[in-house]
Amino acid sequence: MASLILENVTVDFPIYGTQKSFRVALRSATGGLIRREGLRHERVTVRALDGVSLMLKHDDRLGIIGHNGAGKSTLLRLCAGVYEPTQGRVFIEGKVSPLFNISPGLDPDDTGYENILTCGLYLGMTHEEIARKTPDIEQFSELGEYLSLPVRTYSTGMLMRLGFAIATAIDPEILVLDEGLGAGDARFAERAKRRVDDLVGRSSIMIFASHSEDLILSMCNRAILLQTGTIVASGEVHEVMELYRKLNQSG
Amino acid sequence: MLDRSLRPLIAVRVMAPPAQYDLAIRDLVSGVLNWRMWGRLGWQETKRRYRRTVIGPFWTTVSLGIFVLTLGILWAQLWKQVPATYLPFLTSGMLSWVLVSTLITEGCSVFTSGENLIKSLRFDYTILTCAVIWRNLLVLLHNFIIYIAVMIYAGVPVTWNSLLVFPGLLLISMNAIWVITLLGLLCARFRDVQQVTTSVLQVAMFVTPIFWSPDQLGPRFATLVDYNILFHFVELIRAPLLGRAPSPWTYVMVGLCTLIGWGLTITIYSRFRRRLAYWL
Repeated sequence: MASLILENVTVDFPIYGTQKSFRVALRSATGGLIRREGLRHERVTVRALDGVSLMLKHDDRLGIIGHNGAGKSTLLRLCAGVYEPTQGRVFIEGKVSPLFNISPGLDPDDTGYENILTCGLYLGMTHEEIARKTPDIEQFSELGEYLSLPVRTYSTGMLMRLGFAIATAIDPEILVLDEGLGAGDARFAERAKRRVDDLVGRSSIMIFASHSEDLILSMCNRAILLQTGTIVASGEVHEVMELYRKLNQSG
Repeated sequence: MLDRSLRPLIAVRVMAPPAQYDLAIRDLVSGVLNWRMWGRLGWQETKRRYRRTVIGPFWTTVSLGIFVLTLGILWAQLWKQVPATYLPFLTSGMLSWVLVSTLITEGCSVFTSGENLIKSLRFDYTILTCAVIWRNLLVLLHNFIIYIAVMIYAGVPVTWNSLLVFPGLLLISMNAIWVITLLGLLCARFRDVQQVTTSVLQVAMFVTPIFWSPDQLGPRFATLVDYNILFHFVELIRAPLLGRAPSPWTYVMVGLCTLIGWGLTITIYSRFRRRLAYWL
């Protein structure tokens, strides 16, 4: 049974190579809290997440809502194990499949088939699994003969279809999704949506960050609202969404 | 209000998160064991070099061959050496040096060039390290053609000692893992390290006996060779390639270097592996 627990987690990003003038400029930027550390305040850090606690169990579909720079992506990357927390602890039980960009490890000079294998391996699939999934990827991407050609010859749409087909072929336990996965022409968008639904259905836990209210409402059964790195609300999707709207109006 | 009160309370500790030390060891061990992954990465990279070129990676072989041949003949003249002994010496020395020095320079960029992957996936970073080593062993295989040609020309015999090249390569690979991990980590945090490494290696190429043999140096400067670890790594494969066994001192130095290096790297990797994604 998959589970994911964040215990009072804080993430500070170190900023290297900042000049004084740049630090002043930073102060007015949006996003996390900027701090100075060290004896002479020479170290600049941005607090992206501040004391976040979270407990997810089987069948939880968590939606993360928040403005740009609220810490959504950082939280996703933390759940995926990409970032280790600066403070606090993360307990992950189960295989995490992060889908942030469509094709990690994709090489333009390799053929479609070669990339299916490389990306598949990166996403944690075994050779056998990839061999088993390849017909499905062939069919969904509708690339036919093109799969034997270098990926560099593909159009943007074709490349996206391939990346999407590979990424969504996995059997995730804990699925970490960033918005932006999807799009393409109208017909593809429809098929993509069905495929994502299917993928989410196969997963035990799903974490999804998005600006789209519709997507969150249709895909999630829990939600949290992030603001400058802290969870300001957590609970029913509708309630949290309501609060987010209020916040938007007053802000 | 929903607010903070709704934050799930965690009263029961499900399991302790693994200690940093365990994480680093796990990364190193399962990274090395995942040969299918790094095997593929290194192989694909080599294959890519063949694309749209007629002879692909053999270009490095060709230029190395020209280098060895021209300078070998020239320097044999200058230093009054016999080409039939100097050429094999220079060839096997350069082959070894190219392997050792490229492993070091490519180690500097191992993590910075994998930035995209490291920032989007959780995987054993050691896979990238092993891919670099594997790719360079494949390059060595290409360069071996020059060696074979020169050996036939100079008539250097193949002896039982030649087999020592295999433990030599194993020792080099074992050390390469920690060197690349350590340099990759350092270069990710301090970008100057790469420049420093390149300049040091440039000088090292002339200070290390590759163009000249250690006995030409005389006893006064012998320490320059005896304690030059790069020399010993070069000797590890150069000596067998010339049909000799490396000296016991070489194995002592390499052994020490392996122990100290791994100890240091495991200590540092345990501490800073978790920070790598932040540095990129």
